[in-house]
Amino acid sequence: MSRRPATPAQAAHLDARRRRLFALTPPEGVAVRFEVAPIVARFAAQTFDLLITFLAVGAIMLVFVIPALQIPILPSVVFFALILLVRAPYYILTELMWNGRTLGKRLMSIRVTGVDGRGLSTHAVVARNLMKEVEVFAPATFLLAAESMGWVWSLITLVWILVLILVPAFHPRRQRIGDILAGTIVVADPKPLLPPDLSRRPQSAEFVFSDAQLSHYGRFELQTLETFLRAHPAEKIDAPPSQAVIDVAAQIQRKIGYHEAVPDTRALAFLHAFYTAQREFLERKRLYGDDRADKHHARRDENPD
Amino acid sequence: MDGSGGGPQLKSARFRAQREADWRALERLVDRHEKAGGGQLSLEEAQDLARLYRKAVNSLAAAREISLDRALLAYLESLVQRAYLAVYAPQETISGVVGRFFSRSAPKAMRASGGAIALAAAAMALGAMIAALLFRQDAEWYYTFVPEGLAGGRTPDAATQDLRDALFEPFDGVVIQLSVFASYLISHNVRVALFGFALGVFACAPSIVLLIYNGLVLGSFAALYADRGLGYELFGWLSVHGVTELSAIVIAAAGGFRLGFAVLFPGAVSRRDALRLASRDAVKLALVAVLMLLAAGFLEAFPRQLVTDTEARLVIGWGVGAAWLAWFLLAGRDRS
Repeated sequence: MSRRPATPAQAAHLDARRRRLFALTPPEGVAVRFEVAPIVARFAAQTFDLLITFLAVGAIMLVFVIPALQIPILPSVVFFALILLVRAPYYILTELMWNGRTLGKRLMSIRVTGVDGRGLSTHAVVARNLMKEVEVFAPATFLLAAESMGWVWSLITLVWILVLILVPAFHPRRQRIGDILAGTIVVADPKPLLPPDLSRRPQSAEFVFSDAQLSHYGRFELQTLETFLRAHPAEKIDAPPSQAVIDVAAQIQRKIGYHEAVPDTRALAFLHAFYTAQREFLERKRLYGDDRADKHHARRDENPD
Repeated sequence: MDGSGGGPQLKSARFRAQREADWRALERLVDRHEKAGGGQLSLEEAQDLARLYRKAVNSLAAAREISLDRALLAYLESLVQRAYLAVYAPQETISGVVGRFFSRSAPKAMRASGGAIALAAAAMALGAMIAALLFRQDAEWYYTFVPEGLAGGRTPDAATQDLRDALFEPFDGVVIQLSVFASYLISHNVRVALFGFALGVFACAPSIVLLIYNGLVLGSFAALYADRGLGYELFGWLSVHGVTELSAIVIAAAGGFRLGFAVLFPGAVSRRDALRLASRDAVKLALVAVLMLLAAGFLEAFPRQLVTDTEARLVIGWGVGAAWLAWFLLAGRDRS
């Protein structure tokens, strides 16, 4: 498990696995990959929602209850009763109304969805939030009232809370018990962003690459170059190139055995031309079943493990 | 687009150029759906949403095969994610959900859980019987079962007259104090009921303990009052809210039993699936229990304190009980 990544490509694979993707299959039959929401974001959303419900109940108390009461000790009793009656409906209604997003979740860009690829059902929302009352809030309330319970009960509550926090922390999909029961999962809200296509046909045959030269790299290097070129778009070709562009171009020339001289001013043009040629080459190979994950593809073909 | 000056575009770039307009249109529709809610889309828009979503799904499946453009793949992934969430969003209105709960799903879940409810009631009755029998042997048992805070002076050491007064003491405070009392009772009982429900997951055991314990307290009270010839009066006093409150505890624990049964005897499916299936009814039982406890809280705080006639108490308590029973038994039956 704790194998050290030998290549940058392997490191990237490990990193992708650490992002905890979760695939669900809607009736259309194509798996959709969601990113599981990080615990920290969920905790922050939870805190924000708690703040909202506490403020709401506080406001209700100020307006209706406190003026009507003369006894100073009782407001806390009413407060906790109101919290119980406001909190669960708040979570259930907001998650139903906004398709799995409470205000806190909206703020943190996370949302609830069903694991079975059939969306979020009413039952699932009610179940996960009822369980939340028992799972999270009741022990928390107990802990607040700990001094009146004696240390045995305090210890039990503490262990209880620890276990409940540890369940989602160790669950591969970060589900708490209520999520497991309801069949729901909290995922990061996707943000679609479509930058322009980088591939462009060369205006002239300034740079020509042979199949042998294009056989050096694989998908990982191509996509790394893509990321680099997004920061150095083709519009800047005529501007004086930065040192990084010159270095990358020189490195690629050396690795693939490109012997024609490329002047520094054309380094970026070279990179864009190489990107297009490399992508076309790899996409064609891929169509014929030759998927080259990274530049070690040739070695892997010789001795498949 | 790019590459118009030279030869033909890359296959994957052409693929993108041909479909990009559809993706952008889908993006706009999904945006509108997220901001305004599904109900705000016109019929044409809703149809477009579904159509463009399916097209985008196909694009994604194809792009995974033919394109190595990481930005494009990431875009399509998240576009399809968002569109999926919009297309499969809950389509029910809040009032529809609430209406269906009362008219159909709650009573159906109750009827489907008859066995669990009977078992839960039996567990509570068992506790009551044990307490009553033990009390008859030795009144000291009372102190074991009933905590001091709950007893409030109503112990075997109290004079019969004091015990009677506790039942019929007329209320001479302000009504607002009764509301405080009610809210205290409700929040306490709802917590107990939710625990009885949720802890049922652990093979029913905690729910059974809770029921038996409730039964022990009940049985001790009953035995004490019966011992002093006040059985009928206690029955009236308890009936006002107890019919509803004790039923609610039983129902919540029965919900827990359904979960516990699923864990103990999953049958042909996996435990997780059995649990998920059982939770459909169990959660409704828990909601019914919470609802009944709200009612019980008000009954306990107002009618019980304000009505001091035993017959009237019986009528109120069992009348409300009969109403619950009618709801469970009669509502939501399919006429066929």
